[in-house]
Amino acid sequence: MTETDQPLPDDSMKHLDEMSCLLYIERQLDRARAQEVSAHTQECAACRTLLRALERESRLLTRAMLEEEEALPARLAQFQERARRSMHWIWTVAFGLAATGVYALYAWYVEPLQRELEKAGFGGSNLLSLLIFQGAFWKGWQPMIALLEVLALVTVAGFGLAFFRRRVRRGSVLALVLAGFCAALVLQPASALASETRKGESVGVSRDETIKGDIFLFGDRVRIDGTVDGDVFLCGHNANVNGHVKGDIIAFAQILDVNGDVDGNIRAFTNTMTIRGTVAKNVLTFDDLMNLEAAANVGGSLTIFTENLNLEGSLGRDILIFAKHFTLSGKVGGGIRMKGDSLTINSNAQVDGPIRFEGNREAEVATGAKLASPVEFHKMEHRPRYMQGHYYVWRVIWTAAFVLFGVVLFLLMPKFAEETIAAAELYGAPIGLGVLVFFGVPLAAIIACITVVGIPLGILAGGFWLLMLFTAEIVVGTVVGNWILGKAHDTAGLIGRMALGFVLVRLIYTGLEQVHVIGLLAGLGILMWGMGAISLALYRRLQPTIAGGAPSGPYAPPLPPNTTVGGIQPA
Amino acid sequence: MSAPGKTEATQAIARARAGDADAWGELYREFAPAIFRFCRRALPTREDAEDATMDVFMKLKDKLVQYDQTRSFTAWLYKVAANHCWDVLRRRKSRQDKETEDLENVPLEHPDPNQLDKLIEQRTSEDVRRALDKLGGRARMALVMRYYSDMSYDEIADALGVRRAFVGVVLLRARHELRQALGESGALAAGGAL
Repeated sequence: MTETDQPLPDDSMKHLDEMSCLLYIERQLDRARAQEVSAHTQECAACRTLLRALERESRLLTRAMLEEEEALPARLAQFQERARRSMHWIWTVAFGLAATGVYALYAWYVEPLQRELEKAGFGGSNLLSLLIFQGAFWKGWQPMIALLEVLALVTVAGFGLAFFRRRVRRGSVLALVLAGFCAALVLQPASALASETRKGESVGVSRDETIKGDIFLFGDRVRIDGTVDGDVFLCGHNANVNGHVKGDIIAFAQILDVNGDVDGNIRAFTNTMTIRGTVAKNVLTFDDLMNLEAAANVGGSLTIFTENLNLEGSLGRDILIFAKHFTLSGKVGGGIRMKGDSLTINSNAQVDGPIRFEGNREAEVATGAKLASPVEFHKMEHRPRYMQGHYYVWRVIWTAAFVLFGVVLFLLMPKFAEETIAAAELYGAPIGLGVLVFFGVPLAAIIACITVVGIPLGILAGGFWLLMLFTAEIVVGTVVGNWILGKAHDTAGLIGRMALGFVLVRLIYTGLEQVHVIGLLAGLGILMWGMGAISLALYRRLQPTIAGGAPSGPYAPPLPPNTTVGGIQPA
Repeated sequence: MSAPGKTEATQAIARARAGDADAWGELYREFAPAIFRFCRRALPTREDAEDATMDVFMKLKDKLVQYDQTRSFTAWLYKVAANHCWDVLRRRKSRQDKETEDLENVPLEHPDPNQLDKLIEQRTSEDVRRALDKLGGRARMALVMRYYSDMSYDEIADALGVRRAFVGVVLLRARHELRQALGESGALAAGGAL
């Protein structure tokens, strides 16, 4: 009879527990306990069997795990190469983001401006409109906007897919539901997102009307006289809230008047905002002018970024204010923290909390004002820009924005970009031409605008000059990138060099900028060089009759024999 | 036991730490198969393992500077992989596993040594791998860390976030789960006292 075939031991014998056996074979027991186990297993066949079984189990586990039953997947074998190529993906994302940004700028600024111009009489078939918005220069404008719209949507969808990629592949129901929801967000009209959406010249909620749920209001004039049970999202020129809003108000408006009752919060971006009614909770606004009139009653706090704030009404809690001028004539239930230029507290004002004011001059406090404590004043320090943290934050933001701008330009006009960089690398010619363009074009534009017929031409020239001004640093950055990495052979390479070079130019220029004369000269040099290169490339483009081997113009040396005008310059 | 990928590519590690992309490529070529198998054993699907392998090597790029060159690179790499896989498992289904059970209060049933021996003898490596797929995250991770990458009890405790004293319990529980899965019945687990 083998050990394995032996019957189970009877209860009179004290056996080792399985944990001790496992720890024994794993060499995790202290010496004394290990000796006990060893001694026991010399005498006890059952425990010996258990030990042996556990050891065999360990070996089986190890063998099962170490066996190479499947080869390294092709995906992993190619991972190194794909990691290297992943930069291309980053450029695609950058382009998509840039497109999204440009489209957002168009939707928020250019399109409304166009509408305003039309309202002001520049629509239809007048000369300016004809030249700017319907002329050859703008041919293809609408398809371009449509393209930007598509790119923006694709970018958003791309991010969504990238985010859910792994989960979708694993068949997660949640991910599919969320992806479907995102798709619905993208594909459905905005009206499907809200309980109700109203658009038009003049939109609103009438006096005897009650909206169950949220409402989205888009119009030139927005007026709420009735009741809204949910939140109000409004966007318009003139907005009046005279009724009762039981939720929050989120507003983007030129002028916003709140005369009614708001049970929730107000979050607003306006030019002028006036509150005469009641707001139960908090107000957060970004405005040029904000008035809380005597009848106004805000239950919560006020956080405001504004030019001027006049507070005559009543505020339940604290104020945090970043403003130029703040005039207080009403009641503030909490404290005040202000950073700005001037603070005036009139005689009928009452503040129940501490007042801390950081500004340029002491607060003016009228004698009758009831203050819980005197105003704690701190003189604002005006340090040089380079000593302030936000200066560097903005430098980084602007650098990123310019790189994105450059990516868009290079992708939209790859050939012209290459020609411009080639022109910039001629050094003398572009800088010379740049001096002429930098000073000459604005002068010419002004002269052109003096004559009525020349106005469109002057505006176009001025606009183009500005565009060149913003693009010049990108051109110079690309040349610097070429110095470091060598000449690019494709657009992606050129973009990479542009990004690297631009960042370097920015870094160097940020340092030089602090030394006034050198900073100024460096800035002018960069602008003139870049603008000259663009002008030179453009000049060459406008010479269709130039053949290979012929001189291209007064500022350029003869082209190499194998060069065709508009083609890529050989590296 | 010896885990795969034991060769210490000291020079490549030093160069990779200095930012040499080719050296990183060498390390990848040498250690990726072993890390992939580790992840394959620890995670439910092949795609999870592929993703995890790539993630581990991407992490490696950043973490390489933290590596103490006086210690085993392979062991350190497995630790990174173990932490990553455990994070993946924990994020995904921590609620469904038996992870939150109080280990101290879980009774461990005693196996019949003879039946256990017989079961081990009858099962192949393939059976074990299939059975591993049926285990909970913690059990699976514990077994892989111990029997694939030869990690110490301290390292396992650290990776799983349990006290060292309970690593044995975790491993034993994992073995019981495995036997259950291998036997497709509770016969062994309910084998009674010795």
